[in-house]
Amino acid sequence: MSNTSPKPQGADADASAQDTLYASRRKLYVRAVSGIFDNWRWALVWITQLIFYGLPWLQWNDRQAVLLHLVERKFYIFGWVFWPQDVIFLALLLIISAYALFFFTAIAGRLWCGYACPQTVYTEIFMWIERKIEGDHVRRQKLDQAPMSGEKAARRGLKFLAWGLVALWTGFTFVAYFSPLEELLQAARTLSFGPWELFWILFYGGFTYLFAGVMREQVCKYMCPYARFQGVMFDPDTLVITYDEGRGEPRGARKKGIDPRSVNKGDCIDCGICVQVCPTGIDIRDGLQYECIGCAACIDACDQVMDRMNYPRGLIRYSTENAIKKHWGAKDILVHVLRPRTLIYGTILALLCAGFVWGLATREPLRVDVIRDRAALAREVEGGMIENVYSLQVMNMSEQARSFHFSVSGLPGVTVDGENLIEIGPAATQSVTLRVLVPYDSGKPGANPIEFEVRADDDPSLSLREETTFLFPR
Amino acid sequence: MLKWIQVLWPSFLIAAVAEAVFFTVIDPQELYLFGEPVDYSRIATYSIGFLGFWLVCAASSLSTIFLQRPAKEINRRT
Ligand code: SF4
Ligand code: SF4
Repeated sequence: MSNTSPKPQGADADASAQDTLYASRRKLYVRAVSGIFDNWRWALVWITQLIFYGLPWLQWNDRQAVLLHLVERKFYIFGWVFWPQDVIFLALLLIISAYALFFFTAIAGRLWCGYACPQTVYTEIFMWIERKIEGDHVRRQKLDQAPMSGEKAARRGLKFLAWGLVALWTGFTFVAYFSPLEELLQAARTLSFGPWELFWILFYGGFTYLFAGVMREQVCKYMCPYARFQGVMFDPDTLVITYDEGRGEPRGARKKGIDPRSVNKGDCIDCGICVQVCPTGIDIRDGLQYECIGCAACIDACDQVMDRMNYPRGLIRYSTENAIKKHWGAKDILVHVLRPRTLIYGTILALLCAGFVWGLATREPLRVDVIRDRAALAREVEGGMIENVYSLQVMNMSEQARSFHFSVSGLPGVTVDGENLIEIGPAATQSVTLRVLVPYDSGKPGANPIEFEVRADDDPSLSLREETTFLFPR
Repeated sequence: MLKWIQVLWPSFLIAAVAEAVFFTVIDPQELYLFGEPVDYSRIATYSIGFLGFWLVCAASSLSTIFLQRPAKEINRRT
């Protein structure tokens, strides 16, 4: 974070910390908090997880509403069916996500990390389980240091079991996005998963357990690519979790009810609670650090301390570098949300979204590939006609069965011989062989351009033209 | 432990990207293995493909780590 100048933590300090990573990691016993931001985080845990665990159970048109069916190579998402040919939408979606991330980071820092990232969400859930079974941070630390006993083994075992169940359920849900839930349930009933389904359930579940139960903040600190480049999107007007040094210092203990200025102190009573609640184990009073995931736990914690001391809240708060320096109020901060950087990110984001919606709205649920039959070249048939054979691959990307009519144009007297109608089931592909006849004198020797038209019977507006060539013998 | 993470994690990320791009463009049913059409189920091909990508990327990370050893460490060993 070059432009927000984190305090100490030089490059060397960082390198040596990483060298000894995992070996000497100080295990964190994170103290629980409550408060506005904690409520927000829990709200997002609920929303994201209701969606994640719930979506595979949703039905739509008698099928799973959201199914990225890898085996069929089709993605079903509510009313849409996407084929590999639609990869542009996936690419667009990824770009939109990236820009949304830039946009929100520029406005208010690591909102994603603090509230919505799966790493945060599952850590929150796993910590909640841990708290329920092993007690608060003090009791957890005691339990860790205590010699093995019946009670310790029981609590540990229960925790691992509960974590394991959540992890397994998560892995199962994950796989249900790619493999039909119904088949998975069937397999679960008889415990007869396919080897690869089982592998991926355990793989995803195992990593959920490892990341949310064991590694926690280390994932954010050492594995997350976003944490490394987020600084690029920050500027002095970005809202970040800030300790108001001018107001807090000099810190120190004091009796309740005395005016801090009378004892030459700032508002920080140096209780250290902001450090105890921090899931990454840093001290926000040292300034903005790349480890800070912006979870605002320290804001909630410090606000409670301030309430108890009868000081105004907000010693730690969302603020901007400029606001702290120039003593701006909320209004000035809001005014500076609109600035070239956010406007540019915002405009690009809006354009991309518009493009995505437009693309979806105008997407034709029909696709045709024309391949001329190479084995049978131009052939002369009865009645002075030349015949070419084509194979047409028609994809019906809509959700109802449809019949399609073929016609051909481009040369005088050109006709389709025989059956020129096919019926295709919902979201299916079908090949059809068409014989095209042209009077021998209506084209030049060699290739002549012609055009197929495929038209849906039930919806005349749904049609497609596809160019190809018609060969005359030389 | 750190070394393991440095080898396995970036390679995992890149393998995931490679897997997505590769199998979007190529249908596993169109692949040939030693001249024979691949007859595993698609799930198996995707999975093996992913693990294969991961392995290759991990090999690359491993060589990076290997070549990155500081002079001090190499001298100490000899
Ligand atoms: S919680 Fe607030 S008062 Fe307590 S140490 Fe942290 S900043 Fe100071
Ligand atoms: S300093 Fe710690 S508690 Fe405060 S927002 Fe950052 S990560 Fe959360």
